[in-house]
Amino acid sequence: MKNSFFKKGGKDKESKDIKDKTSKKENLISMSKDYKKVIYTNEKTNIEFKIEYISSLVDEKIIQKSALPYLLEKEFTKITDIKEILPIAEVEISEDPKQIEERLFTGFVVLTISSNKEKFCFFSAQKEIGRNISVPEVEFSVIGPKEAFVETLEQNLNLIRKRLPVKELIVEETTVGQLSKTKVAIIYLQGVVDDENVNTVKQRINDIKIDQITDSSFIGQIISDNRNSPFPQVLDSERPDRVAAVLSEGKIAVIVDGSPHALIAPTTLIEFFSSFEDYLLNWILASFFRVIRLFAVAFSILVTPLYVATLTYHYELIPQDLLSILITSRRVIPFPPILEVLFLELTIELLREAGARLPTKVGQTIGIVGGIVIGTASVEAGLTSNVLLIFVALAALASFTTPVYRIGNTIRLLRFPFLLLAELWGIIGIALGFSLLLTHLIRLTSLGRPYLEPIYPTRLVDFKDSFIRLPLDAQRKRPLYLRSESPKRMNPKGNKKKDIDE
Amino acid sequence: MKSIETILIMAIFTLFLSGCVEKEILDDINLIDGIGFDYVDGKKIRGTIVFPIFIKDKPPENRVLTGESLLKKEILQDIQLQAADPIVTGSMEVVLFSKELATKSGITELMDPFQRDPGVGSGIYLAVVEGETKELFEGKYGVRGNSTHISDIIDENIRNEDLPKTNLQIFLADFYSEGKSPFMPIIKKKSKDVVELTGVSFFNKGKLVETISSDKMFFFKLLVDKYSEGLHRVKIEEGEAAIRSIRSVHHYKLIKKNPMEVEVTIDVQGIINEFNGDKMYPNLERKLNKQFEKEINQECLALVKNFQEKNIDPIGFGHFVKTQIRGFDYKKWHESLYKDLVVKVKSNVEVTEAGVIQ
Amino acid sequence: MSVNIPVTNKISPFLVFYLIHTMQVGVGMLGFQRIIATYAGTDGWISVLLTGVILHILMWMMYKMLAIVDGDIVTVHNYIIGKKATKIVCIPIILYFCLFAISVLRTYIEIIQVWMFQELETFWFALIYLLLVIYIIYGGFRTIVGIAFFSIVLPIYILVLFLFTVPFADFSNLLPIFDHSIGDILKGSRNMTFTVLGFESILLFYPFIKNPKKSHKYAHLAILFTTIVYLYICILTFSYFSENQLQKNTWPTLTMWKIIRLPFVERFEYIGIASWFLLILPIIAISIWGTSRIIKQVYSIRQRRSVLVISLLCLIGICIPTTRSEINMVTDLTAKIGFYFCYIYVPILFVATLIKKKVKKS
Repeated sequence: MKNSFFKKGGKDKESKDIKDKTSKKENLISMSKDYKKVIYTNEKTNIEFKIEYISSLVDEKIIQKSALPYLLEKEFTKITDIKEILPIAEVEISEDPKQIEERLFTGFVVLTISSNKEKFCFFSAQKEIGRNISVPEVEFSVIGPKEAFVETLEQNLNLIRKRLPVKELIVEETTVGQLSKTKVAIIYLQGVVDDENVNTVKQRINDIKIDQITDSSFIGQIISDNRNSPFPQVLDSERPDRVAAVLSEGKIAVIVDGSPHALIAPTTLIEFFSSFEDYLLNWILASFFRVIRLFAVAFSILVTPLYVATLTYHYELIPQDLLSILITSRRVIPFPPILEVLFLELTIELLREAGARLPTKVGQTIGIVGGIVIGTASVEAGLTSNVLLIFVALAALASFTTPVYRIGNTIRLLRFPFLLLAELWGIIGIALGFSLLLTHLIRLTSLGRPYLEPIYPTRLVDFKDSFIRLPLDAQRKRPLYLRSESPKRMNPKGNKKKDIDE
Repeated sequence: MKSIETILIMAIFTLFLSGCVEKEILDDINLIDGIGFDYVDGKKIRGTIVFPIFIKDKPPENRVLTGESLLKKEILQDIQLQAADPIVTGSMEVVLFSKELATKSGITELMDPFQRDPGVGSGIYLAVVEGETKELFEGKYGVRGNSTHISDIIDENIRNEDLPKTNLQIFLADFYSEGKSPFMPIIKKKSKDVVELTGVSFFNKGKLVETISSDKMFFFKLLVDKYSEGLHRVKIEEGEAAIRSIRSVHHYKLIKKNPMEVEVTIDVQGIINEFNGDKMYPNLERKLNKQFEKEINQECLALVKNFQEKNIDPIGFGHFVKTQIRGFDYKKWHESLYKDLVVKVKSNVEVTEAGVIQ
Repeated sequence: MSVNIPVTNKISPFLVFYLIHTMQVGVGMLGFQRIIATYAGTDGWISVLLTGVILHILMWMMYKMLAIVDGDIVTVHNYIIGKKATKIVCIPIILYFCLFAISVLRTYIEIIQVWMFQELETFWFALIYLLLVIYIIYGGFRTIVGIAFFSIVLPIYILVLFLFTVPFADFSNLLPIFDHSIGDILKGSRNMTFTVLGFESILLFYPFIKNPKKSHKYAHLAILFTTIVYLYICILTFSYFSENQLQKNTWPTLTMWKIIRLPFVERFEYIGIASWFLLILPIIAISIWGTSRIIKQVYSIRQRRSVLVISLLCLIGICIPTTRSEINMVTDLTAKIGFYFCYIYVPILFVATLIKKKVKKS
């Protein structure tokens, strides 16, 4: 707040400059092709008036149909009359010339009467160009709602409001970015959310000093507690259902105009491994999938480092029956295990990167097929062993099981330091890497709330929705770490169970 | 706060230059999985190592190298001169001693490196070889390599047959125990591709002093292993039956202190695997039981007597008596008490099933 | 000299359980069985029980004492002998905690050098380890407690793996009970000190507990748990090894792990040693943190700086002993000082606090 860049200094000082500036600005504005200035005369009162707008931002149909007919045919003498004759909801009268520019570039039409240049009238005629709501592509789910956020803030708010039609849902809006003037909405449920969290978010967003914001991830990166961490500290989601659900838990969502991803904070590490689909399934299935996902992640990070460690240092660990397989597949390979692994891991990363840049989903398929071809070829050429190929492929596969895209990237990155440490000191090196990672995670916070909750600090009740997801009955209380103002979300269970045959 | 992270990362990078440790890359080392010791003369011993050379889709080939020296590690050095890759001991499976060596010079000194070397596991098998270990290793047995094959034979016989539980750990525990003497299985090269378990050998202070043949092993196992399985043939007038003991329990009881008297009760539960007589009838089962009990009593007692004569105690009477008497003096025990120990064997056999036919 | 800690930096009472338990279970657990068996033979497990009882009494004393002054060991000294004298008396305590960290880390490095990497450079390993520790300490006490928590929770599976030794164990080894004199058992108990040391760290972090009174039972629970763990390992060790064989093994626990065979891991001790990396991490962290905390309180030196100096001292201390016997000397020294500190100095402090309290009242 204190560092807000809209300096609302004393009016007197500025009023002198304003006139020169407005004229300068007008010149600047008129340089653009899409700046339109038209002068009309009212038929009844013969008052001459001028409308200005940016044609690329304004829907000219609105001007043609809902504004001009009234302005030309209905009686008005003063600028204040316009409010009554125009059938448009957003009509404002102002005397502040500074607003002109701001309004012009947010899709308003500025109307001035030639006789009185002190006052302005703005009415909105924004052009709504944007894509329609579509199916979520990043967080796809087989069952459940199939709508995703789009790039328009209003539409996104609409999607959330529809799911939480209560007055407690507060949407606060600010603007961020000296150039981009991006609208940022902070959304929370009053009475459920912890005010401290809201204040932290507001303060951090208001403190942002940046010229341009193109996506919510900018904000996400800037408001993170530790910007040097590979771990994302705010969750981003493109699903309105997920956002509505976490809002009702007491979290805060931030939606940025022009970004189809809402940010959710505070968050925990565990949350990155839970898919929204988990809540749509029976709790036993959901828990099973979550556990599988966690194993997949552990596997994905550790399998290749363990391969390097055991093959380079700890041959004793390998069971007798596996020895022959490993040795025969490695014998022809000229490289030490670390190079072999790095080669394959980097190949997979290349394929993923290439697949992501290719235009369609077909690109990904080609990428995977290419991976298999390259993999098999490199085994045949004696560059890598086939056992390793399986491990690397599985590890890559496992890293894609994470429901949140961002954490998948983190996991793939984490593998490399572990690999180097494994090459250095074998499993002691892996233990070192693990300790480092653990310390980093313990130190990490999201909006000042511990990142590793509920594991540490241990909150046994919050385990109901972490590694496993207990039935909805068990989810009567909101997560503890959110310090919600009303911790209960459901009434306690009613009657006792009936006896047999009652 | 940031600085410590940077320092840490930088330190780890410097480590790559200076903190490295010696690598043992799996395919650049010779993993010996068996080692054998033979007698040369009073001072020298000959060591034979065997390591598998793995070939794709084929049983591994065995490479045998030998060296002569005074110490085990020196033998390895000697052998290393012949090998292209470093020889490592971490995946050892069997250690063999020739009978001649075990009898003449003993194995005490040879045991030390196996305990000292952190690479050697505790679950490896030790065995005495009738004949030369080198010769034995030069055969070609099974599809999984010689050492694995030998260890599989021992493993199988412990699990389902008459060999009492043994491995390096158990041997060492007995070896260092004052109240028990260690034992090892005996194996023999029967032909070019067959190895056979022929019995059990007993040690006294690291020297082989006694052996028993495989048919006595069943009784020895009854006495030593708390729970055991095994197969024994019982002969009665009506025919011969093979009885598999599926569960046997032994109990030791000190009944008298002066002179010491220990009662061993053995309960055997068995099933009839095979009977070559005409017909089974109810009485026959009882008869078999009785005969089996008689044999157990006789044979076990004979074994104990024999051990007492040779002054070895593989069953662990000394250890048992020690647990019963506070302030027990092993010195006296070894001097006289063990020889005068009276052992009684009682057994209860219960044959429960006779298979699917009458 | 206030010990006012912001509430946000304080920890829940139940975490005291992890802190005390983790401080006690360190490298000592890998080799204490041999040491007690030297004196008490297979009756050593009685020594373990006895030690447990003594620790409970000491813990009770420390809690009483700290509750009276409502602070840490520095406050206790201030309370009894005044600020000036404290400045001198605290020096040996600082040195003791440094020595404790040194001997734990040096022993661990030795284990790695013997079991895994003969050529591992003590200096480099210690340097990296201490840097990691500093990284933890800079995260504040909550981070240290977090590491303590994980260092108990994650390797807990090892306790289950000890059961792999049962098929090879002969429990009659433990018989006859009380074959040794009380004196021998007491000696065994005394020589176990190094293994159970660490519980005295409560003297350092007591002011960081949110509701110290409530944490009292958790501290006792921790000691109880430690005793049970040691008893469990002790009984398994004595039945696994024969008495003379046990004397041959420097680290019986590691030797016992050699028998563990899992379908995917042929030999477990290497993984065990790697797990110990995490297990001793909080010990070093708490020792160094505690030392810097005393320094801050007594000499008002910023912890950020003193932690670096102490770590440097520890690094030097770790590099000095090189052979088995020298390392042994260091641990013996630590054990001796620890013994006198916990078993004699702490009771004296306790009595002095009580007397002082009476005097102040009247």
